Amino acid sequence: MRPVAHYCTIIPPYVLDQLAEQGHEPAQRSLALDLAHRAARLQAIAPTPPAHHLTRTIRDAHHLQQAPGKPVRLEGRPPARDGSVNRAYDGLGATFALYENIYSRNSIDGNWLPLDATIHYGQHYDNAFWDGSQMVFGDGDNVIFTDFTASVDVIGHELTHGVTQYTAALDYHDQPGALNESVSDVFGSLVKQYALGQSAAAADWLIGAGLLAHGVQGVALRSMKAPGTAYDDPRLGKDPQPAHLNDYVDTSDDQGGVHINSGIPNHAFYLLATALGGNAWERAGQIWYDTLTGGRLTHDADFTAFAKATVAAAKARYQDESVANTVTAAWSQVGISTT
Amino acid sequence: MRIQVTRTGGLAGRTQRAGLDTADRSDAPHVHALAREAVAGGLRAPSYGVPDGFHYEITVDGRTVYCADPKLTDSQHELVSLVLREGTAQPVQRGLAGGN
Repeated sequence: MRPVAHYCTIIPPYVLDQLAEQGHEPAQRSLALDLAHRAARLQAIAPTPPAHHLTRTIRDAHHLQQAPGKPVRLEGRPPARDGSVNRAYDGLGATFALYENIYSRNSIDGNWLPLDATIHYGQHYDNAFWDGSQMVFGDGDNVIFTDFTASVDVIGHELTHGVTQYTAALDYHDQPGALNESVSDVFGSLVKQYALGQSAAAADWLIGAGLLAHGVQGVALRSMKAPGTAYDDPRLGKDPQPAHLNDYVDTSDDQGGVHINSGIPNHAFYLLATALGGNAWERAGQIWYDTLTGGRLTHDADFTAFAKATVAAAKARYQDESVANTVTAAWSQVGISTT
Repeated sequence: MRIQVTRTGGLAGRTQRAGLDTADRSDAPHVHALAREAVAGGLRAPSYGVPDGFHYEITVDGRTVYCADPKLTDSQHELVSLVLREGTAQPVQRGLAGGN
């Protein structure tokens, strides 16, 4: 059959049917083509349903600054000799477990997205990031930072950027950007706490513990418990995070200080989780998760809008109104009014 | 040729700035070529990049362009690595202004 110009017909099929029945040849041809195209279209768009389980692939960039690289460990395969491979693999698994077991979220996109990571990205590359579809880990320069697969909360942090991308899609600048960062710190820390079975009282509330190279004066990149105290080092400088809105940092660097001012909502979450007691991933985490994924948060939400949304989420989820009151109190302690 | 590179963002949100003057360098022709290519492939305004990705500001003889990980060209990648590694570290002033 030669391709003809009747690809997307504008004539309704019932009209074609009638014309064809009357022996109208172009209509018969068009109808046949229609059927063929519909069948082809159905075949073409029938998506392969994603496997309903965790599917991890770790790839090695071999120090080139190019992802994804060569596969070095697939789902279900035994550990590799390279510790970075296994830490990335386990960190992806720990993050999947928190979202699946606690919040019934099927992977990062809620639809079983396979979790991919590239390790050994670049040379002495001092960073890790979510590139919109997968994780990328550098090895660190070993002067300031070590291997970025070292902290499970950093892996949870990065993958949560994916969750945010698929849900509230908070803008990545100024206050919405600081909230985007903070949500990643919150769930990054919860990934670690859940993996270790630690209560809010027992957790260290640090982001990137184990990431600072030997000799750097500090314990981590950030502290949700005590923002501004994670490091104080001649080379790295002093942790610039504020814990209260009065100390909000206005800067044009870092997309408007998204990694700095995240200290404020970070500390509010810490205050809430410790005030509620027990495991932070339970009520406090659920309220934050409901806020992020509930569909009511706008992409340009500021601290106040986010705080109000958490109070609404607490009221919607828990009949006991003391929970919502505890949320209000936590925000109030960092200088944000929800009333 | 004077080249300045500022790297911001990253998971740690740390700003690093370094400058390099090619006047005394034996590889000046190579660095000049790199710089020209890097500027030609750069953007006139900062780009969004990816969350926690590094953002770069490259200034060559007074002209500034922007780029962000993971979408650096090979010459941008080589240039920023060279300047941050071998250039003179420069102080970073954060626009501190309290209160909100």
